[in-house]
Amino acid sequence: MGGLRAPLFITRHVLIALVVGGVGGVLFMAFLIEFDHYTSSDAFCTTCHSMTYADQDFRQTVHYNSASGVRASCGDCHVSEGVFAATWDHAVGSKDLFKQLFGPDYDDPVINALHLPEAAFAARRWFRARDSATCKRCHTLEAIQGKRADTAAIHREETDGKSCIDCHYNLVHRKVPDESTFKRDAWNRMIEEEFALEPGTAERLMGEH
Amino acid sequence: MPPVLLSASFRRVLFLSIFVLAFPAAAEKVKLDASQWGHEAGDACVSCHTKSSSGLAQQWRDSAHAAAGVNCMDCHRAEREDADAIEHEGQVIATIVSPKDCGRCHTKEFEEQQGSVHAEAYSIIEDRLPALAQNVGGSAMQAASCDQCHGSRVKVRGDGTLDPATWPNSGIGRINPDGSKGSCSSCHGRHRFSKAQAREPEACVRCHSGPDSPDKEIFEASKHGMVYAAHREEMNLDAAEWVAGRDYTAAPTCVSCHMGAAGKLPSTHDVGLRNVWSLNTPVSKRQFLVIFEDGAKMELPGDEAAPRRGTEMARADGTVGVVKAVATPERRRQAMTLVCVECHGKGFTEGFMRQFDAVVELYNTKFGEPARAIMAGLYERGLLTPTAFDEPIEFTYWELWHDEGARGRHGASMMSPNHAWWEGMYLVGRNFYARFLPEARAAAGGHADEVVDAVLRANGQHEWLDQPGQMSAILGFPPQEVE
Repeated sequence: MGGLRAPLFITRHVLIALVVGGVGGVLFMAFLIEFDHYTSSDAFCTTCHSMTYADQDFRQTVHYNSASGVRASCGDCHVSEGVFAATWDHAVGSKDLFKQLFGPDYDDPVINALHLPEAAFAARRWFRARDSATCKRCHTLEAIQGKRADTAAIHREETDGKSCIDCHYNLVHRKVPDESTFKRDAWNRMIEEEFALEPGTAERLMGEH
Repeated sequence: MPPVLLSASFRRVLFLSIFVLAFPAAAEKVKLDASQWGHEAGDACVSCHTKSSSGLAQQWRDSAHAAAGVNCMDCHRAEREDADAIEHEGQVIATIVSPKDCGRCHTKEFEEQQGSVHAEAYSIIEDRLPALAQNVGGSAMQAASCDQCHGSRVKVRGDGTLDPATWPNSGIGRINPDGSKGSCSSCHGRHRFSKAQAREPEACVRCHSGPDSPDKEIFEASKHGMVYAAHREEMNLDAAEWVAGRDYTAAPTCVSCHMGAAGKLPSTHDVGLRNVWSLNTPVSKRQFLVIFEDGAKMELPGDEAAPRRGTEMARADGTVGVVKAVATPERRRQAMTLVCVECHGKGFTEGFMRQFDAVVELYNTKFGEPARAIMAGLYERGLLTPTAFDEPIEFTYWELWHDEGARGRHGASMMSPNHAWWEGMYLVGRNFYARFLPEARAAAGGHADEVVDAVLRANGQHEWLDQPGQMSAILGFPPQEVE
C-alpha cells in the first residue's frame, strides 16, 4: 500500500493548488482561444464605426464573395495563426483602440480616408514581416492554378524572393499607392474632391491632431 | 516695301533655309551610347509578361527595340516623384510612355513633334470641346471618340491610378502627366514600333477618315492611292532610310508628302510644317509658322505681318516666347513642292498647286466668308442665342465648313475629284443654298435683307440667283420644252 502514497511534499494545499492551477490554466487557455476567436471576427472589428469603411470595401471583393463559398474574416488575414501569436497581435493591436478613443475622429469618413494610406502602409509592412503568413493559411503557392493559362506558370516561375503581399496589394480595401510613390498632396486633393471640400481642408483636418 | 522689312524677310528666308537644311536627309539615328539602355530589371519584366500578356511581349520581341537591347524598363521607368509613377513588382514605373520619355533617345523626333499640329491637337480644341462633346454628346463620347484622336488631358488620381475618363488614350495631342504633348504610339503602334507600319497610309486612318477629314478615302480615290495599291510591294517600307526618289519611287503615302524625306528635303516629325493653308477652319488662311527659341511653335494667319526674329509674342497658352524663326507660307509651299518634284515636273506641280489654291479661295470667298458674316450678323443682333448648337442653323453652319467644306478642300489638296466636288464643294453649295440661307432668313425674320441678302449682294458670286428664268437640261427639262 505504501507504494501508492503521494510524496511527502504533496500536501493537501499543494494538491489543491495544482488542481486549481491546472483547471485555471486550461480555462485561461480556453478563454484566450475564445477571446482571440471573437476579437478576430468581423462583428467585433466593426463595433468601431471607423472599421465599417474598411468592411464596405472588403464586401465588394472576392475575399468576401467567393464562388467556392469560402469567406475570409478580418482576423483570417490580419491576425496571426496560433493562440500566442494571435494574442500578441491583439495586444499590439490594442493601440488602435487607444487611437480610436484618444486620437483623431476616425469615425468621420473624411478623417478616415485621409489617414488610410498610413494604415495601409503599416498593414503591408505587417504582412511582409510575416512573409504573408496569413495569406498562406488558405493559399498554397504550388496549388495556384488561376483561370488564365499562365497564372500557374507565373506563380511557379516568377515568385522567387517574393512574398504574396509584394504583388497582391490593393486587393481587398480601398486602393492606396505603394509607399514609395505615394503623394500626400495628390491624395488630399482627391479626398477633398470626393467629399466636395475646399482645397486645403485636408491639411487643416490632419493638423488638428 | 520699306527696306527694313525687306531685310527682315531676307533674314527669315536665310534662317529658315538653315532650319530646313541643317538636318540630315535620312532618318535620324539615335546618338546615345548603347550603355544608356538595357535596364537590368528588363529581363524579369519580359519573363513574366511573356506569360501574363504574351502578345505584347512578342510584339516587343519582333521590334527594333528588342534587337537593339531596349527593354520594358528603358521606356517605362519613372522617378518616384513623377505624377504617374507607380510601384510594380519592385520597380518604379509609369504606364504612359510620353513623347518626352521617347525623346530620351529620339531627341530630334521629340523636338520636331512638340508644337506641331499633331502635338497641339487637344490644346487647340480644348476650350471648344464642351459645346459639342459635352452638350451635344456627353462625357462618354469625349472619352471614346473625340479624345481618342485629339488626345485627352490625362488625369492621375490621388491614389495613383489613371482616371478612366482620360485613359486609355493614344490621341495624338494627348496631354501627358509629365506635361509633354502627344502620343508616339498614335502612329507607331506599340509594342512593335515598326517603321513600315508607320509609313503605311493605314497609320493615319484611325483619325483621318470619316465625314470631317476623309483623308483615307481621298487618298484611296486619288492617283497616288491608285498607284500605291497597285505597287505596294515595291514601296520598300522596311528600309532603314526612306527617302522618296531614292529608296522608293512607286507611290507616295501620307508620310511621304507630310513628313518624309524627299531628295534634299529632310524628314520631319512636324506634320504641318509643309502645309500652306489651314483647311479645317471656317475660312482657310495661308499661315506663317512661328518657331520660338524654346522649341514651341505657333501658326499665324499669313495676311498679318510676320513677326520679326527676336521679338516677344504671347502664345495661345498665355506664355510669352521669343521668335526664333518664321516659315512663310511660300517657304512651306516650297518644301512640299520638293516632294512633288521627285516624281513630277515643276510646271505640273505648280499647275496642280494653282488648281488646289483656287478651290480653297473659291470656298473662302463664295461660301466660307459670307456664311461666317451672316452668322456673325445673326449673333450680333441677338437673332441667335450665344449657345452653340441649340439652334438648327448652328449645325448647318458647322457642317458647312467643318465637314463638307473641309472635305472639298482636302479633296482638292490631294487630288480626289470625287471628294473635291461631290463629297465636298457640291454639298457645300447645296447646304449653303438649300439649308443655310433659308434657315438664316428664317432666323433673321424682318432683318433678312440687311443680315443675309446684303452679304450676298456684296459678295458678287451669287448673282445667278437673281436670274430665275435660266432653265437647264441638267434637271431633264431642256429650255425648248418649256413654253
